[in-house]
Amino acid sequence: MAQNCYICQFGGEAGYGVMSAGVMVAKAAGRRGLWAFIANEYPSLIKGGLNTCLVRLSDQPLTAYEEQLDFLGVLSQESLEQNYTKLKPGAILLYDADTVKADLARIPAGVQVFPVKLVQSVSGDSAKVMANSAMIGAFCALTGFPVDMIAAVMRGEFTHPEVLARNLALLEEAYQKVSAGQSAAPQFPLPFSENDRPKMLLTGNDAISMGAVKAGCKFAAGYPMTPGSGILIYLADHAAEYGLVFKQSEDEIAAMNMLIGAGFAGVRAIGATSGGGFSLMVEALGFAGQAEVPVVMVEAQRGGPSTGLPTRTAQGDLNFVVFASQGEFPRLVIAPGDIDECFFETFRAFNLAEEFQLPCIILSDKYLADSATTTPFFDDKGLVIRRGKLVDEGWLAANQPYRRYRQTEDGVSWRAVPGQKGGRHIATSYTHGEDGFYSSGNHEYAGTEPEVTTAGLDKLFRKVPDILAAVPAIQLYGPEEADLTVVGWGSTKGAILEALTLAAAEGLTVSFLQVRYLSPFPAEAVEAVFKKARRTLLVEGNKTGQLGLMIRANTGYKVDHSYLKYDSRPFVPSAILARIKEVLS
Amino acid sequence: MAQDVNLNYKSTWCPGCGNFGIFNALKKAFGDAGLDLEQTVLVTGIGCAGKISQYLNTYRIETLHGRTLPVATGIKLTNHRLTVIAEGGDGDGMGIGMGHFIHTARRNLDIAYFIHNNQIYGLTKGQSSPTSDLGAVTKFTPAPLGNVERSINIVQTAIGAGATFVARAFTGDIQQLADIMVQAIRHPGFAVVDILQPCVSFNHLNTYPWYRQRITPVASLPGYDPADREKALSLASLWGEKIPLGVFFTEVRPTFADSLPQLAGPTLAAQPLDNISIAALMEEMA
Repeated sequence: MAQNCYICQFGGEAGYGVMSAGVMVAKAAGRRGLWAFIANEYPSLIKGGLNTCLVRLSDQPLTAYEEQLDFLGVLSQESLEQNYTKLKPGAILLYDADTVKADLARIPAGVQVFPVKLVQSVSGDSAKVMANSAMIGAFCALTGFPVDMIAAVMRGEFTHPEVLARNLALLEEAYQKVSAGQSAAPQFPLPFSENDRPKMLLTGNDAISMGAVKAGCKFAAGYPMTPGSGILIYLADHAAEYGLVFKQSEDEIAAMNMLIGAGFAGVRAIGATSGGGFSLMVEALGFAGQAEVPVVMVEAQRGGPSTGLPTRTAQGDLNFVVFASQGEFPRLVIAPGDIDECFFETFRAFNLAEEFQLPCIILSDKYLADSATTTPFFDDKGLVIRRGKLVDEGWLAANQPYRRYRQTEDGVSWRAVPGQKGGRHIATSYTHGEDGFYSSGNHEYAGTEPEVTTAGLDKLFRKVPDILAAVPAIQLYGPEEADLTVVGWGSTKGAILEALTLAAAEGLTVSFLQVRYLSPFPAEAVEAVFKKARRTLLVEGNKTGQLGLMIRANTGYKVDHSYLKYDSRPFVPSAILARIKEVLS
Repeated sequence: MAQDVNLNYKSTWCPGCGNFGIFNALKKAFGDAGLDLEQTVLVTGIGCAGKISQYLNTYRIETLHGRTLPVATGIKLTNHRLTVIAEGGDGDGMGIGMGHFIHTARRNLDIAYFIHNNQIYGLTKGQSSPTSDLGAVTKFTPAPLGNVERSINIVQTAIGAGATFVARAFTGDIQQLADIMVQAIRHPGFAVVDILQPCVSFNHLNTYPWYRQRITPVASLPGYDPADREKALSLASLWGEKIPLGVFFTEVRPTFADSLPQLAGPTLAAQPLDNISIAALMEEMA
């Protein structure tokens, strides 16, 4: 086995607080030396339905999700119905004795069953909201998880003294009641340590937001859309303290255009959305490309097409994001694979957007955006702001006449911003010459239109080699000589890496090619890996194997096998391992 | 006239186009308002109107069709010390860009918005626009029926949506147009000017003589009081035998930027980016 893990899941109707139950357990674990990974599943509604929060705990860092449960706590019938088969032998099943009926025949052998009054233990109209506290109290009593640590976390989570007091009382009451019924105090299966450095519990959205703040982003705009909104909420929350303005827009079209206005006027700007909102932004994406305005946009994918599955995960937008817009222009598409990459690649994205004066898209998905992981504090000391050819008034004074789109060897022109002396210019969505003037129809320019058009597009694409030289476009993990190379991008990274560890434990040599920069496509680097690879397995969260198509188009190589999953749920390491073994057998 | 406002590019507007009057009035307004051209941004849409930014030597951004106001919003919030002027046609602003118009008005951003209203799509060669009169015969609304949709009244819509300076002018009177432009630029808030502009090539209904027969100073009409929203809306509803011109409504209300403590001091663009500490953000997550 790769590592010791303990997996607990809390389930109930929306509004019962099962998500915060998971967060409290994970935070408490993180303060006592353990590592946690939280995956949430919830439908698109406010009350009712089924919310589940799965917390995977370990004594080693975790990057993925697994479904075989050691503990299941449920506050609604539905959350039990869907999970009977996920209970491991020896697992603990806790359910609300009044509202849930367990079908003993369906409970796997060896599972310990504990019906406890959880919801009814709470009086008044806040009954359901606080039932999670009773559930965690029972969880601690049944598993040996330190209840004092939960209480400590609660003290930080609830700001209202009365709410805190009621929750603490429920926690304690359930803990005492359930403990009294136990013959011996259980020992939690993972080791706690007292003097561990605290860790953060972060979602991908949190990490991207923090990367933006660190990068000096001063303007954000957007329209609410799950799962991207978390970034906008984070930035709105911290706007005043970091001197940042968040503007909610009337639609995503406005959002992208506001960001372009901000980028043109000289600040670093970010937006966040999902596929549907990004669809509305596409025309403006082309505007940013044509006018060479730096902007950063996060596209957190969900199931699609159309409204699709608003709260579930998918990797179906890769082709769309890489090719979106009429015409041709270079753009950056970065797909971070974990929490660290969410932070550091977002920081880098702001530098790249300004150095190369183009739009940059961070492509995540619901699983990465919403899942929380315990992470050590970021080491941000070495991070340096680079703004490329953004000029000051001194430079402008010495370099008249100023031309915004002057032809240069590297394709990047000097950029002045409104308000500077000597930098007046036109930035434009039209195809244009060095001075930004649109040639068509003007007597002085009409004759040279074909040359101006060609030169303008050549200028944009001269940036590409320098971009590829500047970015960590691919990463290869695992043994250099491998029988199989798994190929993937984005949020599958954690599950694939864990599958590699499991494979190694079984004597299989498997490597992993992570394509982190998808546009401009790192064709040479990918080709070099494929040239040496014995066999390849594509792992992607979509139906058509979009990365595989992109690799074939750019390198001529075809992946040998694929594991495509498009059922709206994330990949799990054990299933990837099974597919690896199938391919290698 | 402001110094070195002219560029040497030849315009592509038709001879007699109402845009020439707007162009000349805008240049005069830049001078009369004493604008520093390096602290001024002209944000234009796409269409004949939008081309005005190609001929004026200030900071300019030629946006997408219909998207002037969100771009102007981003610029204004990034550097709230700049004078931001948005311009576009009636199709640009009242058709594809209408959503932005309403929301920019209710936000009361300090932006002057000049709408070149020729009641037709000119650059695409003569289709009906949201401000085309009932019965107007165009390429998309052929005879005998002509246009059957009620037209949008820009002045009324702007007052209703919350713009804090709303006026109408005529490109045939450059002096009055420039004067209203100066007032709009100086107004602290969202200032809308509906500029009546003949399209000599494609609009054969709303011609120079047609306008001249109808235009009337709004200030001469009974009940005129630009501080009174109800009265302004009532006068704004007039469109037919009489078309009132002038300032319909003014109000001073805090702008969107005024509400943000982040913009009380230096602009966002002037803030330093190096060595921002996120230690507190990390602690908060532990």
